[in-house]
Amino acid sequence: MDLVLQLFVNGVINGSHYALLGVGFGIIFGPTKITHFAYGPIFAIGAYGCWATATMLGLPVAAAAVCGVLAAVLAGVLSYLWLYRPFERRGSSHLVVLIASLGLFITLENLIGILFGTDTKVIPDISPGIFLWGPVVVTSIQLWQVAALAIVALLLFAFLRWARHGKALMAMTDNGEMAQIIGIDTVRVSLIAFAVGSAVAAVPAILILLKEGATPHMGFIAVFMAFVAVIVGGIGSFKGAIIGGYAVGIVENLGMWKLPTEWQSTIAFVVLFLILLFRPSGLFGRRLR
Amino acid sequence: MDYLLHILVMVALYAILAGSFNLLIGFSGLFALSHAAFFGVGAYTTAILATSWGLPFPWPLFAGIAIAALVGLAIGLPALRVGGEYLVIITLALQIIAVAVMLNWTSLTGGTQGIGNVPRVWIGDLPLDTAGRFLPLAVAVAALSLWCAWRLGASPFGRALRAMRENEAAAQAVGKNVVAMKLLVFAISAGIASVAGGLYAHYIAFVSAVSFTIETTIYILAMVILGGTGNLAGSVLGAAILVVLPELLKFVDLPPDIADKLRQVMYGVILIVMLRLRPEGLLPEHDAKRARVPAGLGEGGLGPLAPPSAADGSVTVEGRDLMKSFGGIVAVQDFSIDLRRGRIVGLIGPNGAGKTTAFNLLTGFLRPNAGGVRFRGETVSGRAPHAIVRAGMARSFQDLKLFRKMTVLDNVRVALPNQRGDRLFDVYFRPWVVKAEERENLNRAMAVLRFVGLEAQAGELAENLSYAEEKLLVIARLLATGAEVLLFDEPLSGLDPGTMEGIFPIIRRLAEQGKTICIIEHNLDVIRGLCDWAVFLDEGRKIAEGTPETLIADPVLAERYFK
Repeated sequence: MDLVLQLFVNGVINGSHYALLGVGFGIIFGPTKITHFAYGPIFAIGAYGCWATATMLGLPVAAAAVCGVLAAVLAGVLSYLWLYRPFERRGSSHLVVLIASLGLFITLENLIGILFGTDTKVIPDISPGIFLWGPVVVTSIQLWQVAALAIVALLLFAFLRWARHGKALMAMTDNGEMAQIIGIDTVRVSLIAFAVGSAVAAVPAILILLKEGATPHMGFIAVFMAFVAVIVGGIGSFKGAIIGGYAVGIVENLGMWKLPTEWQSTIAFVVLFLILLFRPSGLFGRRLR
Repeated sequence: MDYLLHILVMVALYAILAGSFNLLIGFSGLFALSHAAFFGVGAYTTAILATSWGLPFPWPLFAGIAIAALVGLAIGLPALRVGGEYLVIITLALQIIAVAVMLNWTSLTGGTQGIGNVPRVWIGDLPLDTAGRFLPLAVAVAALSLWCAWRLGASPFGRALRAMRENEAAAQAVGKNVVAMKLLVFAISAGIASVAGGLYAHYIAFVSAVSFTIETTIYILAMVILGGTGNLAGSVLGAAILVVLPELLKFVDLPPDIADKLRQVMYGVILIVMLRLRPEGLLPEHDAKRARVPAGLGEGGLGPLAPPSAADGSVTVEGRDLMKSFGGIVAVQDFSIDLRRGRIVGLIGPNGAGKTTAFNLLTGFLRPNAGGVRFRGETVSGRAPHAIVRAGMARSFQDLKLFRKMTVLDNVRVALPNQRGDRLFDVYFRPWVVKAEERENLNRAMAVLRFVGLEAQAGELAENLSYAEEKLLVIARLLATGAEVLLFDEPLSGLDPGTMEGIFPIIRRLAEQGKTICIIEHNLDVIRGLCDWAVFLDEGRKIAEGTPETLIADPVLAERYFK
């Protein structure tokens, strides 16, 4: 029973991580409809930005984290301006944009590998606090993972609800053509979506850096889980992405009660498969017409 | 020397992979990311069966084909119901799972160690253990695999695949079972990819999971994009270039790890640059020279569409009490309509009245919440759209939905009914039957084009037509289905009066020859000039029906119409 409790807590922690990834991915995918695979390496850029400024420039971790976020935002905005925007202007199909994003994915991931090497990068002298709650063990970084989702989700909620650009972003998520007709500058909103989404992605990336360290390949599983959270929750729903992230995180951890750890991602896949089989539009997605 | 031969073997293997991937992406527009996984399934099946079970070549290869095809089908099932992003994520997941299984199911796959000492292929007493000895086998198998892919792509089935890629709903509207087509092409593509895996295992004599990751899928993808989607020769060229090019990096003194990463960067950059500068690839799918149609075809005319006595006004289609709501909003309610042989019925009403929804209900594109449709006395509501088209009831779309990257001729040819070339068995095992039918169908398609006056544009891509020509092609494609009941969704909107006058007699002639016709139209002059009967819809309900004259004269309707 203690094991199940621990696994459930781990599930909530991992779920927060996936939910955060899903929200960042969804913020970009919702209004722009771009399947942004390069979200993965941009996630990694967030972590490497933090690592580089912390170890090479000797900045304190908090300041380095800000640098990591800024690096990710810059990379996200540039990827829209230099890669996706020209395709949009030409009216290319989703498929073409998706293939281009895969091209950017593999290019960036390997450039990171060439620049920084493939060894795991860690920030030295970080010793996270460990808490014992009855039979359950958690670290301070894990608590931060949960808190980060709460903070980011609240900020985003306020932004989407009350800020002018946030509302425009929601309108475009709902119906891009209509948004354009009523005079929303869709290019600017797309840029904001890429900036905000990349910033959101950098947060879980930095926490993973502190928890396990960064590798050039870390972005692949990140974009995959972000994608899964969005699909499970339902495309176009932020609430859905959060619940989708938690659903996947909890199920895959509880699954380890009976299965060895290396099958963890397989469990996520089975969840995805079943959901697509029985609810093709996701848990909270709008019905497909 | 051996090094050069080795490169040639790799070109042959990757040509198989790129060609089979092209069937999915290029021909069918199905974007899957699991190709390396199918490559791996073939390699591991061969390695396991040949090593642990001692099965001789080519039996492991066949087993690999079967397993890969089955996995392809199983994975396809949920994703193909929805498509688009879902197919991407499902196949990406399969890719991850496949590698996880290869790494973790240690008792079967050797885990991270992989499987070594895979037995060589023996031809008589000769082991194919060098690149030079293996090359003939690799080339022969690659040629056979690519022939299978080419045969598929060049057949009427391949034409239907391209139609599905261009527009799925329109492919259904010409009677194609898109779900079956997707599953079939998925299984075939996976099966062919596994062949490359089987050869690879015998050739390298060692398999491990790192060869079959997502990076390999992207590598193969780069070959397809570089060579040209929808063109198998392009895939061979793309494979050749992308196998040879990275080898040049070996002449630069770099640490192997960096060189490997540079290779990946190169693929990524090639993908992006090609899509920006030449998205159709080095060898484009459409070749204007090949598309030229010999003169004099289809001059015999269409012949009688139906016996002339058939235009007798008997009821062929009965829609009864149809109701459809979308999440509480009622789009159509209590809608009943009779369509009669030889008569033209006009469906009129203001925007948003539910006219197109009514068409969708009649033709099976939407399932009614209540009510039913009977065609020749048989209930057809509940059947799939393509089945209703095959039964003899076809429709066009307001937004045309032409197969834009196909020629005018192919737009029509793909719509011809009952094609043997749509059946894979006939494509592979009775090619002469398909060939004879193709000759006949070419003639028939040209006759249809002559009927609407588009014969001169037969070899053009549909996307290059003028708007009026596009409208004519819509009519031609609908006509080619051979359906008895034709439902036109705004066939004349946006045309100038002169062109319109040209289309009038075409539609009238169809009715005279016994077709049952229904058109949605806004222009009251058209309704008056063309229709025998008109049905007025507003807010999802039938408000009135009668001859066009009486409806147009009704002041209440006029007010509703122009409100």
